[in-house]
Amino acid sequence: MNGTDPLLEVRDLKTQFFTAEGTVRAVDGISFTVEEGEIVGIVGESGAGKSVAASSILRLIENPGEIVGGEVRYRGETLVGFEQRDGELRERDDMLSNEAVRKRIRGREIAIIFQDPMESLNPVFTVGGQLREFIEINRDLPESEAREEAVDMLREVGIPEPVKRFDDYPHQFSGGMRQRVLIAMALACEPSLIIADEPTTALDVTVEGQILDLVEDLQQKYGTSFIWVTHDMGVVAEICDRVNVMYLGEIVEQASVDDLFHETKHPYTAALLDSMPRPDETVEELNPIEGVMPEAINPPSGCRFHPRCPDAREVCVNVHPENRAVAEGEIHPHRAACLQHEEVFRAGYWGSQPLDDAERAQRHRELTADGGGADE
Amino acid sequence: MLRYTVRRLLQAIPVLLGIVTITFLLTDAIPGDPVSIMLGPSPNAEQAAAIRAKYGLDRPLYVRYLNYVADVVQGDLGHSLYYGVPVTQKIAERMPVTLLLLVSSFTFAILTAVPLGVISAKRRNQPTDHVSRVVALIGVSTPSFWIGLLLIIVFSFHLNLLPATNLIMPWADPVNVDGAGSRLDVLVMAGEHLLMPTITLGTLQMAAITRIERSAMLEVLSEEYVKLARAYGVPEGTILRKHAFRNAQLPVITVVGLQLTAALGGAVLTETVFSINGMGRLIITAINNQDYELVMGTTLFFGLTFVIGVILTDLSYAYIDPRVTYGERE
Repeated sequence: MNGTDPLLEVRDLKTQFFTAEGTVRAVDGISFTVEEGEIVGIVGESGAGKSVAASSILRLIENPGEIVGGEVRYRGETLVGFEQRDGELRERDDMLSNEAVRKRIRGREIAIIFQDPMESLNPVFTVGGQLREFIEINRDLPESEAREEAVDMLREVGIPEPVKRFDDYPHQFSGGMRQRVLIAMALACEPSLIIADEPTTALDVTVEGQILDLVEDLQQKYGTSFIWVTHDMGVVAEICDRVNVMYLGEIVEQASVDDLFHETKHPYTAALLDSMPRPDETVEELNPIEGVMPEAINPPSGCRFHPRCPDAREVCVNVHPENRAVAEGEIHPHRAACLQHEEVFRAGYWGSQPLDDAERAQRHRELTADGGGADE
Repeated sequence: MLRYTVRRLLQAIPVLLGIVTITFLLTDAIPGDPVSIMLGPSPNAEQAAAIRAKYGLDRPLYVRYLNYVADVVQGDLGHSLYYGVPVTQKIAERMPVTLLLLVSSFTFAILTAVPLGVISAKRRNQPTDHVSRVVALIGVSTPSFWIGLLLIIVFSFHLNLLPATNLIMPWADPVNVDGAGSRLDVLVMAGEHLLMPTITLGTLQMAAITRIERSAMLEVLSEEYVKLARAYGVPEGTILRKHAFRNAQLPVITVVGLQLTAALGGAVLTETVFSINGMGRLIITAINNQDYELVMGTTLFFGLTFVIGVILTDLSYAYIDPRVTYGERE
């Protein structure tokens, strides 16, 4: 391990769900890195594969889902590693066993905060007991010390009267307080990376603001890295250092937060930014993205966004762009998967005929009409 | 919790009063006349009138009802016309037999069903799961008296291994038990006698509990908090035993409570098949002989058992799930 290696490196990760309707390519070859002390965002609409990507890192995917390819490396350890051998895709020998991932990685090195604070705590055990158990397991502390640590952590995340609240049950906490408990769980295990899977989506806006402030404070204090999964560009702007924009299982743009907002390189990102409500615009002026995202069972040919893209041209229907470096960035290059960047893709975008609205609408209808029930 | 228990017990009082009322009215509505059964086919009118007067049968319904309720409240269930002894005495005599049978078959059912259901859920759609599901399906669809008869034919008639009739109470005095020299002999014989009736009555319960245990565990195992425990490196065994098991027992307890009613009905059949003198056969004798006070007494007893079952279910709920007693100030 040397100083320049990223904390976490995800390369060409693929996770699929094998359903009766067909194979859902929920995560279809994504690559990104997380540096020490960084907050990296994964942003996209519902069903883009963000949560699946987050769970895949810790190998928490359950039947009928399966990680089918790619690599996840964390501090020199291979959490996920597949290779092509004898014409078959197999797990590499250096990939950690399930037992090793459970004992050495989960909680201890990488902790996760789930989306729904109402469902993430076990209703029949006390909040403190659950926190204490995770501390015991991941920090090898005896029960009494783990208990003290748990109380300290509850205080740290802003639970009033932590000693008294320790023995309360989850139903005696509000949603925001429960989310604080879940954050306390993640921090108390002293991991180097926390994956936050839409942790504020289920909360009121005011509570969301408090939680974001809390996380920023704690992140500065502990230097923990974060992967922040969200569909909210506002949250991204507030908290992230770098951002990955996901669409239908792929990362379509990857940049620092400033570049993403000010030097947007992908029409999907532009559309997401455009659809954000702003105080100086009325509802009529809001510019939502046309249509809904198609199912990942049968993604569109060429660029997956072309049926909804205002800039789509003939070439976009046939050529599938993977994301490439299209501009310089502060540390990492600004990457985007759009044929508009002719100097990089050289697919003849500007010479191609623009798709007219009717044609595009028709293609979009075809794609979404027979969509099954599979979600992310 | 204490407050909740007391409140739950107090709530049972109107329920019991309702049971007494309905039992009384239903018994009164049974066609036929107990007096004519006592006196034979051609009763003497004067004798009949005397008997009616003696048992208060000549008085109006509401007077008899009020008298009966007043008696029941004082613990007097009346007099059995057929046996010629107080109903309470007859019930006290028969009740331990049926309770032994019920406790034994529920113990058998729970001890087999819970592990079977958990393993089934853990190994969903694997061979172990398929076997346990088939066993459970056969269990719920086989009539208990048929299982009893089959056991008797195989283990008593052909193999001559187990006794086919009667029960022996494990606490019986060895002196009063034929062929028993010591306490140990009595215990062994009690076990031998209890084995087949237990399986007969317990199979249905076992099958029903296995099915609900499996589905409840499957549901809980897909909960977000189980996923969270996995994400924090909690070993799979601990997740199963601690994080999932307790939550999954709520629906199981409901089913166990409801199965108690089914088991009371099953006890009547089981006692008949194995010629066991318990409450089940007592109620049948009472009905056959229009022994109306005994019918009321035994029905009340069954009702009481059911009410106790429901209360125990509720209290177990409160014990397992802290949300149940939430809001009760102690």
